[in-house]
Amino acid sequence: MAANVEVQAPVRPYRADWKQGRIASWLTTVDHKRIGILYICTSLVFFGAGGILALLIRTQLATPDENVLTRSSYNQAVTIHGTTMIFLVIVPILAGFGNYLVPLMIGARDMAFPRLNALSYWLYVLGGIILYLSFEAKGGAAQAGWTSYVTLSSLHEPGRGQDLWILSVHILSLASFVGALNFIVTITNMRARGMTWTRIPLFVWAIYTYAWLLLLALPTLSAGLTMMLLDRNAGTHFFDPAHGGSPILYQHAFWFFGHPEVYIMVLPAMGIISEIIPVFARKPIFGYKAVAMSTVGIAFFGFLVWGHHMFAVGLPTAVDSWFMIASMIIAIPTGVKIFNWLATLWRGNISFDTPMLFALGFIALFTIGGLSGIFLAAFPVDWQLTQTYYVVAHIHYVLFGGSIFAIFGGLYYWWPKMFGRMLDERLGKAHFWLLFIGFNLAFFPQHMLGLLGMRRRIYTYSQHGAWEIYNTISTVGAFTMAIAILVFLANIVKTARTGQRAVNDPWLADTLEWYTTSPPPPWNFDRIPYIISARPLRDLRRRLAQEGRL
Amino acid sequence: MPRGVRRKLLGLALVGGATLLITSVALAGNGGVAPQPAASPGASSIRESYWFIMVFTGIVFFGVEGALIAFIIRYRRGKRPRNQDGLQIHGSTRLEIIWTVVPVIILAVIGGFVFFKLPHIADAPSASAAEETTIAVEGRQFYWMFHYPNGAVSVGTMFAPADDVVHEDVFSPVTDVLHSWWVPQLAGKIDAIPGRTNHTWFKAPVGVYAAVCGDLCGIQHTMMAATVHVVPRAQYEAFIKERAANPESLALGKEEFDHVCSVCHKLDSAYVGPALGQNPLLTHAKDLTTVLRQGVGKMPAVGSDWTDAQINALVAYTKTLVKNGGNG
Repeated sequence: MAANVEVQAPVRPYRADWKQGRIASWLTTVDHKRIGILYICTSLVFFGAGGILALLIRTQLATPDENVLTRSSYNQAVTIHGTTMIFLVIVPILAGFGNYLVPLMIGARDMAFPRLNALSYWLYVLGGIILYLSFEAKGGAAQAGWTSYVTLSSLHEPGRGQDLWILSVHILSLASFVGALNFIVTITNMRARGMTWTRIPLFVWAIYTYAWLLLLALPTLSAGLTMMLLDRNAGTHFFDPAHGGSPILYQHAFWFFGHPEVYIMVLPAMGIISEIIPVFARKPIFGYKAVAMSTVGIAFFGFLVWGHHMFAVGLPTAVDSWFMIASMIIAIPTGVKIFNWLATLWRGNISFDTPMLFALGFIALFTIGGLSGIFLAAFPVDWQLTQTYYVVAHIHYVLFGGSIFAIFGGLYYWWPKMFGRMLDERLGKAHFWLLFIGFNLAFFPQHMLGLLGMRRRIYTYSQHGAWEIYNTISTVGAFTMAIAILVFLANIVKTARTGQRAVNDPWLADTLEWYTTSPPPPWNFDRIPYIISARPLRDLRRRLAQEGRL
Repeated sequence: MPRGVRRKLLGLALVGGATLLITSVALAGNGGVAPQPAASPGASSIRESYWFIMVFTGIVFFGVEGALIAFIIRYRRGKRPRNQDGLQIHGSTRLEIIWTVVPVIILAVIGGFVFFKLPHIADAPSASAAEETTIAVEGRQFYWMFHYPNGAVSVGTMFAPADDVVHEDVFSPVTDVLHSWWVPQLAGKIDAIPGRTNHTWFKAPVGVYAAVCGDLCGIQHTMMAATVHVVPRAQYEAFIKERAANPESLALGKEEFDHVCSVCHKLDSAYVGPALGQNPLLTHAKDLTTVLRQGVGKMPAVGSDWTDAQINALVAYTKTLVKNGGNG
């Protein structure tokens, strides 16, 4: 069978002159690669902003009775930090990776709807700008926490900040929703010939699942936020108990979205890990089908566990019990993934390039986040742990030790493909170790703080002794992480002009994005091979070797 | 990076991290490895569940992290060429089944233990009427108020009989926000939700236990706290009897001022709200009543559901403040 099928490079569409300038070409682009890069760069800017808020929070909490940032300003910082990291950093940067990689990985020339893709990006930018401008609103930015529980957010936050928060999250939801549709259509219809569902890269499986999760979860959030908006501004009483409304209804709406949202942020990160580990262990992924199916399994059960965020509201015991069992069930497909990654390392030939360090760091840290989740799933134990720093530690082990470590791994891994230059390995390793050590210093002691009784979202405390020691360690860790991020920025600047040029496939990887040049041409591929396995480039190398051409 | 350096770095990080951790735990005097020491059967069953889960998750933790580190060291590239293949193995159905079934068993054991403990946590033991009492716990921005069976009220300080089953009806008025009643040594959190009454319980020996609000409830959430004084039954009875007999007592007024007003106001300087020392409101019963009942500006109606006697108690107390040098 002819493995290489000739596909003619398409005729380049007409583009007006004014759209071809250096900046204008980026502003008007509908190329999935450029949109992907825009997503990633914008997310990194917001990552800096959210990180600065985190440093302010940690400075305030470094020692007892600090006065750096108190009361209203503190609550604003907490609210916008959480909202930023979730809605403006992790979700969109993963959308950026998806945008850049999905068409390349499945052998397509672009996303199914390039203009819709651009719309999705620009809506995201708009939502982000609104969120940050809301600091200038009367009464400051929103201050009811990223969860914005009613009736605090609906009846007791008179400032405009809360309304702008709703507007921003509404726009960001729309952006994600449109993007998700685009991913589903693209992956369903535009795979290269021969690329069956069991031959698509695991990252594409993850993005496909991520898209379905967004599509199914976001409408509930939008409904909840709309009711909140109407309660605040139109005199409705959806959540007002004085007029027969229910504050608990909001929590159901929020967490029916909110828990799948966690998997929206984690599954593509796991997809990145499933791409990196086999390449640097020189092995195929162990249990491709098990890893793919566990992705779908986690997503499915992700919709059945939202109540574990509400164990303290006094739901009936039978309901709490169900949510506990369902939450524990999720640990099983998650465990399957971890065991398969470990098995992929087994008898490998492991190189410790920076992407691999981040991937191994992910396994080490995500495991801790997963295990602390079991304590939180057991609802009587949760009654002691919820709303404390134990939960703060848990979500950061999942979303920072998990998602962000995977994202950095992905950046080091695909940077050469995106920009044509390798990032510096020495700075990369410094980045990793500083971040790894800083992260553990910052967040491990928070488990203990939670057990000692430190509530989250408090702006100060007066206890000395253990409280002070753990808090100070945590703050030192936060600043160590900030230094790590500066090292990363230095790496980008340093290699921008002088970095080693990347060849098509610098890591000897097996997936299709490495088949084209680094960076790829606007049409992605001159020719697209017929796909006969999940590792097309390995097939290609083997064939070339057989023909004596390699 | 050469292998030696890499190993040293890894070793250094591990040793450094472990040392730091152990030192900090030691310094903290066993602080923060488990929920706080329990003084009530429910809280103590939660602690036991916590330790039970810790044993299993601990085993999994050392297993997974140990395997990770072992594989990293054992299967590192070393002197092998970068492009040399590892073992080309695509999976094993038997292994997949094993590492699906074993976690199922572990989780079933954990879940089973929690359900076994659940009745000791969720359900109060049955007791004769003489050995139990019900206290209503009301969460407000930003204080806790306690209603006793005989109509007595206290603010910021809850009195309860020792060694009796104390049922708590936890709620928040419909005009207020969500709070969460948490006395870590006595029980887990239970939310105080506007328009709804939740239940929890404890049975504790004589002692003083700290309580806080667990749910972000606004600008002074941080300062929303209370203490639970568990005292011998006779002393408890005497207290609520005295309170019911003197509903306008200075003692209640002082509690209200200390736990309601002082959360946001100081006498001599501005805090969250303006200074009170020179404020004519303090001696003006009618205006003070209006402010307490309806709120003013950013100030919530902190006394919207207080009895007239409660308001009179506060007014009586604030008058003494002014008499005792007012601007102090």
